[in-house]
Amino acid sequence: MKKVITGNQAVAYGVILSRVDVISAYPITPQTTIVEELSELIASGRLNTRFLKVESEHSAMAALIGASTGGVRCFTATSSHGLAYMHEMLHWASGARLPIVLVNVNRAIGPPWNIWSDQSDSLSQRDTGWIQLYCENNQEVLDTILQAYRIAESVKLPVMVVLDAYVLSHTSEAVEIPTMEEVDQFIPPYLPEYPIDTQEPMSYSMIATPDHFLEFRYKIQKAMEEVPEIAKKVEDEFRTRFGRGYGAVERYGKEEAEILLMTSGTVTSTSRVVIQKLIQKGISLAGLKIKRFRPFPIGEICNEIKGAKKLAIIDRNFSAGVGGIFAQELKASLYSREEKPRVFGFISGLGGRDITPELIEEAIQYTVEHPRPEEEILWLGLKK
Amino acid sequence: MTNPFVFKGASDMPIISISFGDMDWNKTGAWRAQRPFYEDKTSPCRAACPVGNDIVAFIQKITQGDFERAWDLIKEENPFPGICGRVCFHPCESKCNRGHFDEPIAIHALERFVSDFASNLYKKVEKISGAKKEKIAIIGSGPAGMSCAYHLAKLRYEVTVFESSSSAGGMLRTGIPSYRLPKDVLDREISNIEALGVEIRTGIPFGEDLELDDLKDYQAIFIATGAHRSKGLHIPGEKEKGVLSGLDLLRKINLGRKIKLGDKMVIIGGGNTAIDVARSVIRMGKKATILYRRSKEEMPAFEDEMREAIEEGVKIRYLVNPIRIQQKDDMRRLECLRMELGEKDESGRRRPVPIPSSNFFIEADSVIIAAGEEIEVTFLPKGMEKREGILLTQKDGSTGIKGIFAGGDLTSTQRTVAHAIGSGKKAALAMDCYLKGKDSEEAIRQILIGEGPSISIFKYLHPGERLMNPHVVTFEELNMDYFEPSTRRRESKGLVKKRIKGFGEVTSSLTENTALEEAERCFSCGTCNECENCYVFCPDASVIKTEKILSHQVDYDFCKGCGICFSECPRGAISLKEEER
Repeated sequence: MKKVITGNQAVAYGVILSRVDVISAYPITPQTTIVEELSELIASGRLNTRFLKVESEHSAMAALIGASTGGVRCFTATSSHGLAYMHEMLHWASGARLPIVLVNVNRAIGPPWNIWSDQSDSLSQRDTGWIQLYCENNQEVLDTILQAYRIAESVKLPVMVVLDAYVLSHTSEAVEIPTMEEVDQFIPPYLPEYPIDTQEPMSYSMIATPDHFLEFRYKIQKAMEEVPEIAKKVEDEFRTRFGRGYGAVERYGKEEAEILLMTSGTVTSTSRVVIQKLIQKGISLAGLKIKRFRPFPIGEICNEIKGAKKLAIIDRNFSAGVGGIFAQELKASLYSREEKPRVFGFISGLGGRDITPELIEEAIQYTVEHPRPEEEILWLGLKK
Repeated sequence: MTNPFVFKGASDMPIISISFGDMDWNKTGAWRAQRPFYEDKTSPCRAACPVGNDIVAFIQKITQGDFERAWDLIKEENPFPGICGRVCFHPCESKCNRGHFDEPIAIHALERFVSDFASNLYKKVEKISGAKKEKIAIIGSGPAGMSCAYHLAKLRYEVTVFESSSSAGGMLRTGIPSYRLPKDVLDREISNIEALGVEIRTGIPFGEDLELDDLKDYQAIFIATGAHRSKGLHIPGEKEKGVLSGLDLLRKINLGRKIKLGDKMVIIGGGNTAIDVARSVIRMGKKATILYRRSKEEMPAFEDEMREAIEEGVKIRYLVNPIRIQQKDDMRRLECLRMELGEKDESGRRRPVPIPSSNFFIEADSVIIAAGEEIEVTFLPKGMEKREGILLTQKDGSTGIKGIFAGGDLTSTQRTVAHAIGSGKKAALAMDCYLKGKDSEEAIRQILIGEGPSISIFKYLHPGERLMNPHVVTFEELNMDYFEPSTRRRESKGLVKKRIKGFGEVTSSLTENTALEEAERCFSCGTCNECENCYVFCPDASVIKTEKILSHQVDYDFCKGCGICFSECPRGAISLKEEER
């Protein structure tokens, strides 16, 4: 069934179809309508899920850690300051290997106070041990949530599904909604590794001395390394069942191109149009959408950038003192590779400013015209 | 033996740090700086109840649908739930903590429901068996005398009650109209006391047919002859034809005597007797006007009674004071003065002051004086001290004469049914102490409810059971996060048109459903009602529950003293104290 729904409603559908047992969340714009929708369904008795009201995002995640340890499927949604407030618990969720799925609606972190789209909130949680998946449109949002539970429960790591504020969260698009029966076939019931049994008490996430701590971290890395293969398997199955798929990265445009433009989130949709136009003007150009940020898909990226001389990347996020975070990750990952295209790191659209086709074209023109970037950070659309 | 905690490496380790053993060895309770413990406290309703009813306990039983046990709990302290549920002025409700939140619990209605419902279902009043102890005489079968008789019978004394009137009940029978207290309810509760083995001998007026010397066989005597004499107004013409006393009129109506009254009645006074008279004569097809010398705010009659009286057509004229009653043809002509309110007097009410030259006249067929009542002193034995209109007694009801106790309206200016019942109970206890040679003052101190003055005879009979800290729970000590506003359930009232046609009861008992709903509204101040908040919220799983119910024990091996149980208890039934070091 196709419905015209917002990104936040697509999240809610994804959660309903995934048969989540426990939701705990605290309201924050622009996430709020997700849990509003879900809590109303629960209150009216149409959704058989426990909703735990809490006084903060820290508590929301803490509550889910308890529930997930208990052996049930969990969900929460947040944004910006809310995600930052969860920080400690995000580490706990991954360290305790709990397959919680969290939706973060990208929003700038203040001050200055700002509620618009900006990836700095989710990317500043990059070291918390969560898998991160960035979505381009509302259909992808719904589909990614369904896949997220499969991936999370396979590798025993939590997954953050990320979408842009307003451009997706509050904008309606046509979305194909699978039936419950179809999704039930795709997502099996969650079987926890060590469910809580009050008759057989155990201590969870107890102390690990220096003798063992390193090994636990090693095992998390190993689980992260399994993600590319498992995610691909999950998506292949998803494509067979539902006819849609996205990939950790997606290349579009010319098959052989000297210049590649890398984007994530909704900027990709705009880029698709601009790239099409500039190819027609004769530029040797292709686009690369990065969906998965953690684990960073350098393998998949390298497969797609063969022959490229320059990589332009637009970051809608900012790490003070370094620049764009995608660019930073990309540069670091490429360093050990034989083939190292030159990376042009652009920063644009912070705090929800539109990244217009003109700005994207400007970035590509700059990359075409310059053999190497004049600066490590190229500010796009900056009013000096 | 190999150490299970040594792994070769990551490959044979689990994915998380986990112990398959438990942590019971780690007695984290040792970290505790403060200690929570279950401790029931006194509810404000019970502290305010002159009878000492364990209100919270019986309401809890209603919520459980156990009406029989609710009835038992009331009857531990009070033999007259059907009567109190109807005519008590329910000071419990004025103190109800729920009143600070939305509306107080309709405690009187619940008490009445329990009595009516239970007495229909369970006819289980049994005679107290076993050897009787000393003989005790009680003079007066009103609420004080019968309450005393009831508790003495339960203490296994042989009790005889002497009543001057032809039937038992005292003011309950002669002073309260049956539209407020139906005679069958009164008969039912008196016969329940008789069923315990109490003998009631009616038609024996004390001081006439019965003298103190006739009671030599009795080891103790309780005098509760009430206050049946109407106070006069001390104005000219009040002894003339067509002028009656309110209490006399009520007595005649209640005993079914024939009375001739004219059409237009004027009642002088502002108390409940005035209202009772007015509403009674309205039911006999008369017109009733009450004259009161102060304003509505000062009127001592209960507000509900006044409201119902006005609904039924009773006129009340405030700030009017009759100064003379004249006979004119076949009518009475009252000369009155208009009043205004001056400074506060010793009762705390504003004193009415006559407005000069404001004289005017009111005509009436009959004038009824209901300006208060006083005690009859002529028959009282010598050696008893009287002051300011009452017989003086000690706190325990003992008089100047050894073995003679007194109570009820005779010994108090707080002349309510509840106070009378309470004083009868206190005297029963004091007489038991007297006959056993125990210190009654000390015994009373031990069983005070809150700071007193009410006492619990259950505590006297069962020391150590259902312990309760005397601290009275305040509204601020409750946790309102767990309550939703809800409307007080009310007893339904008959239509005015029907009501004034006769002496049938004005209000009906709550139905089973409304009683349950009303009981659910009770905060249960100070008494655990197994809501299990403590159990649910305890982060250390240290609230112990056995076989589906709370044991009201804390596992101090693991309780870290966070105090969450204390703060999340909605009703103040958990206390917290600092650990001694």
